Amino acid sequence: MAVPVSQMYTVASYVLARKFRGVKRYPLVLMLEPLFRCNLACAGCGKIQYPDHILDKRLTPEQCWAAAEECGAPIVAIPGGEPLIHPEIGRIVEGLVAQKRYLYVCTNAILLERKLKEFTPSKYLTFSVHMDGLKNEHDLAVCRDGVYEIAVKAIKEALKRGHRVTTNTTLFDDANPDRVRKFFDEMMALGVEGMMISPGYSYQKAPDQQHFLKKARTRELFSRILSRPKRGWKFNQSPLFLDFLMGKKEYECTPWGNPTYNVFGWQKPCYLLQEGYAKTFQELMDTTEWQDYGTSKNEKCVECMVHCGYEASAVSDTFGTISGFARTAKLTLLPTSR
Amino acid sequence: MTDAAEHGAGGGGSLEGRVFRPVSAAETIEAIDLAFDYRGDVTLELRAGESLSGYIYNRHMTGANPAIEIFPADNPVPRKIPYADIAAIAFTGEDTANGNSWEAWTSKKESERRAEADRVEADARARGLL
Repeated sequence: MAVPVSQMYTVASYVLARKFRGVKRYPLVLMLEPLFRCNLACAGCGKIQYPDHILDKRLTPEQCWAAAEECGAPIVAIPGGEPLIHPEIGRIVEGLVAQKRYLYVCTNAILLERKLKEFTPSKYLTFSVHMDGLKNEHDLAVCRDGVYEIAVKAIKEALKRGHRVTTNTTLFDDANPDRVRKFFDEMMALGVEGMMISPGYSYQKAPDQQHFLKKARTRELFSRILSRPKRGWKFNQSPLFLDFLMGKKEYECTPWGNPTYNVFGWQKPCYLLQEGYAKTFQELMDTTEWQDYGTSKNEKCVECMVHCGYEASAVSDTFGTISGFARTAKLTLLPTSR
Repeated sequence: MTDAAEHGAGGGGSLEGRVFRPVSAAETIEAIDLAFDYRGDVTLELRAGESLSGYIYNRHMTGANPAIEIFPADNPVPRKIPYADIAAIAFTGEDTANGNSWEAWTSKKESERRAEADRVEADARARGLL
């Protein structure tokens, strides 16, 4: 099992409590971006295209803790930018762990080995290392040679020190299914707890708008990758989301499932689209025209199958339908039955 | 809309270098839409005579007083500027997304790719990020 029982229990009880109360919209994962500055300039990234004075802005630890409290999501993902660049990332993490949030620090791992001394291993803390494939594919995706090897070394060291480590992979339309399957083998051999995968999609302002996966290609690619899964593969995400990527499920987007907070405020409506910002989480929930976003509702969303929109839909299916729960249970207990 | 364009500064369809001087409320909305989607700084010429450079990160289009929010390039405190106060918008900052496509990266010769990687690495090192 890729996720500790305590984490599964926390998420399950959180979701069920809201279902029983009839809450229609609730956040599952807070995407907390403490800064946009990164030490890589990946062509597929749409998060770092800002003037220097914006890249130099950072959220304070207090702002990060307040955002997590305000939002209330049981899981916090810290992407960026590169969060390990933030000089107070250790304090930010410490405070969020104290809040008992399950925390995923998303990192390219260039600074990870050097920064490990700032973090105490905890069941609440996971380093989610960005790995876009085997050496050639990864170094090409991040536009710098040698990063794959640095990341592998850092993963080994983090695991040695008792940290939870997962990988986080974005696939583009040139992905080779056989190479991706080999990559999964390599990552599991490293000893990571689980892997997260998602199709690359066009950030509204990303420089590269040509290589993002369209829906039909996403389904074809993920079917070829995930059919006949190997016994040792573990995925740190909902089995139903993987079904969705393979075209076995149809979901509508749940854009409020992964709200984003950064130096501009609460981003409307989601991690990928920037339609403005709200000052508070409640204002985000109350003033965003949610009905205008999602696969069938907005041309910007038509080809999107990204986890930040659909993982929450899959989790809702798990706890909202008997068939969804049964299929999740089956794939969790027998992952090779897919 | 009056567009005192210095076309070609950004190239590739970028708005970099262009100047918009709207003459109606509809044109102001159109120009602000472009500025809101722009990935670089813009310079606002306000009707009161002030010139303000910065990054437009938010806009409030509805209500009685539509306004944008901008982080000035030389001041960490954001400012709110009513649409009605804007006389011109110039796309003066570098378009940070222009010319950085993955395709451009992969099609570069190995030597150019290496040189660019070295430049980015040197910058990161100078900032203490490596």
